[in-house]
Amino acid sequence: MEEKTDKSTGVLYLIGLGLSTEQDITVRGLQVVKRCKHVYLEGYTSILGVEKSKLEEFYGREVELMDREAVESNSDEMLLAARTAEVAFLVVGDVYGATTHTDIALRAKEMGIRVEVIHNASIMNACGACGLQLYNFGQTVSLCFWTESWQPDSYIDKILLNKRNGMHTLCLLDIKVKEQSEENLIRGRKIFEPPRFMTVNQALEQLEQIVRRREDVRDVLDLRSTCVGLARVGQETQCIASGPLEELKSFDFGPPLHSLIIPAEMHPLEIDMLRSFNVKQ
Amino acid sequence: MVNFTIPQLRAIMDKPKNIRNMSVIAHVDHGKSTLTDSLVAAAGIISMASAGDQRLTDTRADEAERGITIKSTGISLYNEISEEEIPDAKMPKDSAGREFLINLIDSPGHVDFSAEVTAALRITDGALVVVDSIEGVSVQTETVLRQALGERIKPVLTVNKLDRGFLELQLDWESMYTNFSKHVENVNVIISTYKDEAMGDLQVYPDKGTVSFSAGLHGWAFTLPQFARMYAKKFGVSEEKMCERLWGENYFNPAEKKWTKEGDTANRAFNMFILDPIGKIVQATMNDQLDKLEKMLSALNIKMKKEDLELKGKALLKRTMQSWIPAHKALLEMMILHLPSPAAAQKYRAELLYTGPADDACCTGIRECNPEAPLVLYVSKMVPSADKGRFIAFGRVFSGTVQAGVKIRIMGPNYVPGKKEDLNIKSIQRVVLFMGRKQDPVDTVPVGNTCGLIGIDQFLVKTGTLTTAEDGYPMKDMKFSVSPVVRCAVEPKNPQDLPKLVEGLKRLAKSDPMVVISIEESGEHIVAGAGELHMEICLKDLQDDYMNGAPLKISDPVVSYRETVTAETDQECMSKSPNKHNRLYFKALPLGEELTNIIDDGQITPRDDVKVRGRRLADEFGWDVDIARKIWAFGPDIVGPNLVCDATKAVQFLNEIKDSVVAGFNWVTKEGVICEENMRGICFQILDVTMHADAIHRGGGQIIPTARRVMYAAEMLSQPRLMEPVFLVEIQCPEQAMGGIYSCLNRRRGQVFEENQRPGTPLYNVKAYLPVSESFGFDSDLRAQTAGQAFPQCVFDHWDLVLGDPLAPGKLRDEVIAGIRKRKGLAVEVPPLDRFKDKL
Repeated sequence: MEEKTDKSTGVLYLIGLGLSTEQDITVRGLQVVKRCKHVYLEGYTSILGVEKSKLEEFYGREVELMDREAVESNSDEMLLAARTAEVAFLVVGDVYGATTHTDIALRAKEMGIRVEVIHNASIMNACGACGLQLYNFGQTVSLCFWTESWQPDSYIDKILLNKRNGMHTLCLLDIKVKEQSEENLIRGRKIFEPPRFMTVNQALEQLEQIVRRREDVRDVLDLRSTCVGLARVGQETQCIASGPLEELKSFDFGPPLHSLIIPAEMHPLEIDMLRSFNVKQ
Repeated sequence: MVNFTIPQLRAIMDKPKNIRNMSVIAHVDHGKSTLTDSLVAAAGIISMASAGDQRLTDTRADEAERGITIKSTGISLYNEISEEEIPDAKMPKDSAGREFLINLIDSPGHVDFSAEVTAALRITDGALVVVDSIEGVSVQTETVLRQALGERIKPVLTVNKLDRGFLELQLDWESMYTNFSKHVENVNVIISTYKDEAMGDLQVYPDKGTVSFSAGLHGWAFTLPQFARMYAKKFGVSEEKMCERLWGENYFNPAEKKWTKEGDTANRAFNMFILDPIGKIVQATMNDQLDKLEKMLSALNIKMKKEDLELKGKALLKRTMQSWIPAHKALLEMMILHLPSPAAAQKYRAELLYTGPADDACCTGIRECNPEAPLVLYVSKMVPSADKGRFIAFGRVFSGTVQAGVKIRIMGPNYVPGKKEDLNIKSIQRVVLFMGRKQDPVDTVPVGNTCGLIGIDQFLVKTGTLTTAEDGYPMKDMKFSVSPVVRCAVEPKNPQDLPKLVEGLKRLAKSDPMVVISIEESGEHIVAGAGELHMEICLKDLQDDYMNGAPLKISDPVVSYRETVTAETDQECMSKSPNKHNRLYFKALPLGEELTNIIDDGQITPRDDVKVRGRRLADEFGWDVDIARKIWAFGPDIVGPNLVCDATKAVQFLNEIKDSVVAGFNWVTKEGVICEENMRGICFQILDVTMHADAIHRGGGQIIPTARRVMYAAEMLSQPRLMEPVFLVEIQCPEQAMGGIYSCLNRRRGQVFEENQRPGTPLYNVKAYLPVSESFGFDSDLRAQTAGQAFPQCVFDHWDLVLGDPLAPGKLRDEVIAGIRKRKGLAVEVPPLDRFKDKL
C-alpha cells in the first residue's frame, strides 16, 4: 500500500477484547488487528485470563503493551501513527464499558483521525450472568483500596440511592497495576508497587466497616443484606456466589478479577436464579 | 583537687529541687568560656591556678586555635552554700539542704553556631547572660536572649570583663557605673517585650542580686548583696536596705555621714563602696605597693599565702581578687538563689514543650517533675564519642528516670503520634554523665538532669524524644534562629572515596544541629550551613574526622533562594488529571510579609484552633472568614510559610481528594517551578474542582500530579519573584575605618541603616544589611580595607525580593536561575506555562 501524506488516511480502531481468552475477540476485530500497522494493548484497567504472548500467537503479530502512564501521558506516539496508518488499540472488555477511553477518542478526533469502535462483552453486561436483570441496575460504583488516611466511602451513598430506588448496584473492585507509592510519585521515581487486585472479601470488609461507622445506612444495608460476588466472569473458571454480607465475606472466590453486586428489591425470577448461586450450596 | 565524686553527684541528682540546669549565653568573645572555666575550677576539675588560661570547655583543637567555642559542652558542677553566707531564711524556698548540683552548658557565641545555643537552651531552665562591660549588648546577645525567653528560660545577667575598665581603659568610676546601668537597662528592654504571666517578672536588677559584675579572666565577681553583707553591719542597717543603697541614685556624704538621693558622683554608693575599693586594690597591686596592699587585705580580712604575695602585677592582682571575691561564689550563689530548679521550671514549661494533651501521664510527669512517672527525655544534640564514628545522644530527662537496658520508644522529629514512621523501640546500652572532656557511666539518671545515652545514635538523626509511655507524644521540636542559607556541593577527589563521603555526610548531619545534607537531581551532595565560618568548620570536620582525611572537592558556596509571588493570579488556572476526568481550578496570591513572618515565628501554626486562627486571620489580615477556617495545610515540612486553602463552594467529595492536594502542595512548596527552591509567602486557593463520579478515578495517582501542575501554573501567573537571604551585619571599628567599611559594603550591595558611637569609647558600631550571596569573602575583604580594624558579625535576618522577572529574559533568568537549574541537573530553561496549565 502506498504511503499517503493526507491527514485522514489513518484510522484508530478501538477494539474490545472481551472477558476471557484471546479467542473472545470478534471476527471483525480479528480481521482488523491482522491488517493494522500497529497494535497496542491497554493493560491497566483490566486483565484478561491469558498472557500477552498468547494474544500475539493468536493474532500472528506483535502487540505493544501500554501502561497507565503510556495511555494517559504518552499516547501521542500512538495518535501520530494513527494519522497515516491503521492502528488498533485493544481494550480488555468493551471500549466504552467499565473503562473509559473517551479521552483518546476525543483527542484522535481533534487531530482529524477517524475513530472506529468494535464492541465486545464487558463486565457491565456480563454481570447479568448472576441472574439479575440488567434493566434493573443503577449507577455503577468503584471501590478503592483504602489506606490509613485515605478511605473514600462516598460510593456508599450511590449504593443507598440505587437501593432505595429499587436498583441493583454493580461494584467494580480496585485494580492496581504499575502504581507508584505516594512517596515515589512525589519524588518522581518510576518505582512501581507489585500489582494488587481487590477481592470480593476485601470489598465486603469495607462495606462492613462503613455499616459499623455510619448509622444512616443501616436501614438500607446491614450485615444480613444479600450480596452477590462474581469472579472471572466470562471465563471457564467463572465463579458466582450470593448470600448475606457476613456469610459471603468468608467465601473463597479464587484468583482475580472480582466484582460485587448489591441487589435491591428483586423480581421472583431474579430470586430463583440467585438462589442457585447460594453460598451454602 | 576533685571535691566531689560520681556517687556523691548521683545522690544529689535525686533532688530535683536542688538542681539548676543553666546555659551560658553571650555574644562571641564576651568571655563566656573563660568565665565558665572559673566556675569549673571552683567545682574542682582543674586547679585554681590555671583558671582563665585554660579553657576546659573548648574541647576541640580548632576551638583553642581560634579562641572561640564551636560546640556546646555540658559539665556538672557541685556547690554547697555555707550557713554564714546565706542564712536559712534566704535560701530558695523549695530547696532541701544546702548542696546544689549545677548542670552547666557553655555554648558558642559566634552567630554561625547559634543552632548549638538553641540546642543548649532547650535542656536548661535558666540562662546566665554574659555582657562585655565595654561593648555592651550586641546582636547575638539579643538573638539568643530572645530565644531563651521564647523557651521560657529565666535569665540572670553578669556584666563581664570589668578588668578592662580598670586596667585597659582606666575609666573613671562614674563612666563605669553609667555603662553598667545602661547594659542592665538594654537587657531589660529586650526582656520587657516578653511578658509571660506563667513566669512573672523576668527583668534583672542589680539590687536584687540578679545581676553580677565579673572579670572572668581574673576569676573574680561580685553581686550587690555580697557587698551589702559586708557593709550592712558597719552602717547598722539590714542587708536589703544596704543593697538598695548600693545601686542607683543613692549617695553617701562621708563628712556628714548621711545618705542622700542626690549628690556628687564621687559619692554615689556604688562608686564609693564597690568600685573604689576594687580600684584601690588594682592600683596597689599593679604599682607594687605591697605594704598598702597588706593593709587593705587585713582590713578586708583576706588571708593570702606568703608565696602568693611574692607574685607581681597582674598575677598578684588576680590572686588577690580571687581570694577576696572569687567568681564562683558570686555566680553560683546567683544561679542557685535566682534561677529556677527543674521542679519549679517544669511547672510552667511543660505545656510549652510537650505536644500531647496537657493532662496525660507524660505531661503530668513533666509538670510535677516526677521520677516515678513515664520517661520523657529530649535529645537535643548528638556528641561524637571517643569510639570513632559513633555518637552519644545528649539530652535532658523531663519526666521519669532513664535507665540502660529498658525498652524505650525513640521518636524522631518526623514522628506522628499513632503512626510508625520515625519510631524505633530499642533499649539504651549505657547512660553517662558528661564531665567536660570525659564521660562517666551511671546506672540511672532521674528527672531534671542532663545526661548522655550510648547505643541509640543510629536511630536518631539530630534530635528526638525518648519515652516509655505507649501513648506518649514527642516534645516540641526546636526552632532555630538561623537558617542554613549557604551551601556547597562536595565530591571526593578520588571517586573511590564516594562511600566514605556518603557515610561522612551522615555523621556530619548528626553532629551538627543546623547543617542540612541533601542530594540534588544531578547527584551532587549538598551541605548547607548558617554562614561561611559554619560551613568551613563543617567541611573541615567532614574531611578530617568523618572521612579520615580523604580529600574533598568543594564547590564555591552558593545561597538558597526562595520563590514567591507578588500578585494575585489574574486568569483562570486549570489543570486536568492524567485521565482527564478531574479538573482542578486554583489561584495563588501573596500572603504578605507580615503574615509570612508571623508563620515563620510560629505564632500561627497548623496546630492552632481552627476558629481562633480563622478569626485572627480575618481581623488582622482581612481574610474571608470562610476561607480562613479552611486552611488545609502549611508547607513545606508541615509548618512552612505557605498555605493551601479551600475556597470552593459546595463541591461534593472534596474531602476525598484533600490528602492528594496536600501531598501535591508539599511537593511544590519544597520545589517551586522557577528553580526548585522552597516557596515562601504564597497562599494557594482551590477555587473549584470537577471530579469523576467514581472514587477510583480520582486517587492520588490522578490528583497529586495535577495539584502540582495547577499550583505551578498559578505560581507562574502571579508575577513570581525570587527572594534572597540577607544578613544583618554588625561591625565594630574605630572612626578612621569607617570609609573602608562603606566602600566595602557598597560594592556588595550592602545598606547601612544604623551607625552609633559607643559611649565612652572611640569605637563605632555600624549595622547594615548585606545579601548573603555577596557575603562570601566579606570578612577578609573588610579586614583588608580597614587594616584589620573592623570586625563583622553576620547573622541571617530576612528574605528580600530579588528585582526582576525571573521568567523574562535578562541577567536574572539567564545567569542566576539558569545557573541554579544547571547545578541541580534540571533543564536550563524554566518549563513553559502550557506544560502545567490546560486549556478550558
